Amino acid sequence: MRPLSLSLSLSLSLSLSLSLIALMSGGIARGRLSEERKSWRKNHPHGFVARPACEPDGSLNLMLWHCSIPGKAGTDWEGGYFPLTIHFSEDYPSKPPKCKFPQGFFHPNVYPSGTVCLSILNEDYGWRPAITVKQILVGIQDLLDAPNPADPAQVEAYQLFIQDPPEYKLRVKQQAKHYPPLI
Amino acid sequence: MATPEELAVIEKAKVLMVGAGGIGCELLKTLALTGFKDIHLIDLDTIEVSNLNRQFLFRKQHVGQSKAKVARDAVLKFKPDIKIEAHHANVKNSDFDVEFFKQFNVVLNGLDNVDARRHVNRLCLAAGVPLVESGSTGYLGQVTVHVKDQTECYECQTKELPKTYPVCTITNTPSKPVHCIVWAKDLLFARLFGDRNQSSDLIVHTNDRTSSAATADTDFFNIKDGETPESYACRVFDGVFGDNIEVALRNEETWKSRKRPRPLYICEVYSDAKKPRIDGSCNSPDGNDKHTASAARILGLSNPQEVWTVRDSANVFLKALELLLNTRQKDIGSLVFDKDDQLAMEFVTAAANLRSSCFDIPMQSLFEAKGIAGNIVHAIATTNAIISGLIVLEAIKLLMGNLDDCRTTYCLEYPRRKMLLMPAELSAPKSSCYVCSQSTLLLEVNTTMTRLREVVEKIVRGQLSVNSPMISQGPCLIYETGDDLEEDMVTQYNQNLEKFLDSLPAPIVDGSILSIEDFQQEFTCHLQIKHREIFDEEKEPDNMVLSGKLSTTRDQALPGSVQLTAVADNVSIHAVDDDDEVILIDEVAKQDLKRKVLDEESVIVCGKRQRTEVS
Repeated sequence: MRPLSLSLSLSLSLSLSLSLIALMSGGIARGRLSEERKSWRKNHPHGFVARPACEPDGSLNLMLWHCSIPGKAGTDWEGGYFPLTIHFSEDYPSKPPKCKFPQGFFHPNVYPSGTVCLSILNEDYGWRPAITVKQILVGIQDLLDAPNPADPAQVEAYQLFIQDPPEYKLRVKQQAKHYPPLI
Repeated sequence: MATPEELAVIEKAKVLMVGAGGIGCELLKTLALTGFKDIHLIDLDTIEVSNLNRQFLFRKQHVGQSKAKVARDAVLKFKPDIKIEAHHANVKNSDFDVEFFKQFNVVLNGLDNVDARRHVNRLCLAAGVPLVESGSTGYLGQVTVHVKDQTECYECQTKELPKTYPVCTITNTPSKPVHCIVWAKDLLFARLFGDRNQSSDLIVHTNDRTSSAATADTDFFNIKDGETPESYACRVFDGVFGDNIEVALRNEETWKSRKRPRPLYICEVYSDAKKPRIDGSCNSPDGNDKHTASAARILGLSNPQEVWTVRDSANVFLKALELLLNTRQKDIGSLVFDKDDQLAMEFVTAAANLRSSCFDIPMQSLFEAKGIAGNIVHAIATTNAIISGLIVLEAIKLLMGNLDDCRTTYCLEYPRRKMLLMPAELSAPKSSCYVCSQSTLLLEVNTTMTRLREVVEKIVRGQLSVNSPMISQGPCLIYETGDDLEEDMVTQYNQNLEKFLDSLPAPIVDGSILSIEDFQQEFTCHLQIKHREIFDEEKEPDNMVLSGKLSTTRDQALPGSVQLTAVADNVSIHAVDDDDEVILIDEVAKQDLKRKVLDEESVIVCGKRQRTEVS
């Protein structure tokens, strides 16, 4: 009896651990993201939005978040609510997520594709697995009015920022109007 | 007396007390007198008259006020130099989150229900704060210590909850003796002698709107002008065992797969004989004595272990009803069933047996019926005081860092080995515990026929006690709740609730693994789904089977209805101090105790209910 039941329980625990491994592939990212989700729901900075994307089939995808970043009060960005998507990979949080504004977003450190260039989002630079979604979004909000001219990502905004500050300012204000609050 | 070292730790400690009831009052007093200076206290209840006999911090004028606040004020009167913060709130409120719990050195529970205990357990685990758990039932009590990763958590041990029965089973389709006993005491007795203004489910409701069953009349249970107790008793008899059953029979759907009950009228019972003489014996000297008045004795039914015949039961029913009306006039309208009230117990036994006979259910002796009806123990102030003292002792050990000295202590009704307080060593955490080890549970369910709503209600909220569920499959969120959710998400989730599992956006099929998390409790477990076509309706009424480390089956009390609490054969509950003064025997403590500290001594030390049957 005993050896039999032993082998049974062995195979049972084996199958269980296999299923747990299956769960864990992407599970670490998923687990972390559900923690991020919970922590965001409990407390997040005023005016910000961050939520898993609703796919066409109605499912909510924890790996893709739709966010909205308010322009800081007292800056030219004020009044704008800038849409941002965060793409998490299976390797998150070992690797940083990719953050994208809409294509053609006007900012010196945003690529033409909309991808944000920021030190804390660079795996080889400032990214640490402990950085939270909240920190990412607040970091990007800071970046809006404090572009880093040492690391340009698009020609247009960069050149205006350097060469024609009044025009740059105007464009920023226009863009802010272009992204009014969603409500 | 605490040593100077202990006193130093005590004075610096910040403690959270959950519950300011029977144990809570004693505990707050003991904490204050021991030297604790920083106490937070949570209780959502307000003071009721029935609390005043033992919750000694409260006085009559406090009835209706917050327990937590009145308790704080009462203690501050004799200990004005300490800090007590009172929260009149539910501990499950999201304000009391993990961060809140983290500020305390130790949490002390004096709760009256398993649900809140679990919630506090999970928060303590998440916050890494040690928990002293307690409970009392009558003379019995226990105190234990839960420390994350060091000891069992509250949910490592299976705890069953009191079994409650859906009102429809009790009123329409009883199938066991206990159903009839619950009906007799919680519905019929309460309706006849208790508060008549309370809504009652005693009456069968029929789909037939034209029905004019006598008992449907709201005045049915009032004594009519000029009606004698005897004729009243007969009218009630015919109404509840006759007409009421006739009405029930009209609901044809109900009886398609059940045995049809048979109405019972007075005239049938006494078709060949006269009713027993009902005369002046109620004027006997002891007629007013609650514990000696007896209809059965008058009728010559002196053996409590004998099962009465239908006619005996009818005799007792009529006689007891008459005696109750004649001798308890003052109390009618406020009588509460008490198993030690001989006459009340006889009436309930008789009524239950008559109903049993209608439904072809085995009848019970007075003794058996008392056992079934009477798993009800009064709370005892002394036990609560002892338990509170033990809680403080364990708390001090924890604060001193002496976890090895901590014990589970059982407070017994009778001495064992000359001890009334029985200590036992703490157990190590269970590796399979789904709360403190996050294991995977197996859910067998028909994925094509079951809606998400059923899984959420019966399994996630019900059996797993998850308060604010967050359910996901892989990266797909399937369900969340909370006030903070955006409208479109709520809409989406509500749509999901009504979908069959296999037609959800992320279909749940055989082999799927769901993550169940609690937004508040920081609780996570995984549900592995196994598709199964057929379930046994009798044994698996949920059409779902959760296995693995299944902690409890949750009660199914129906909101807004009479709380039909009765105790079936093996039903038990973790120690409880209930403010309604009815509490159930702690079978868990009993088993625990037998396992840990008793050897072959077969005497049940803490059973109120003496089992005579051979199982």
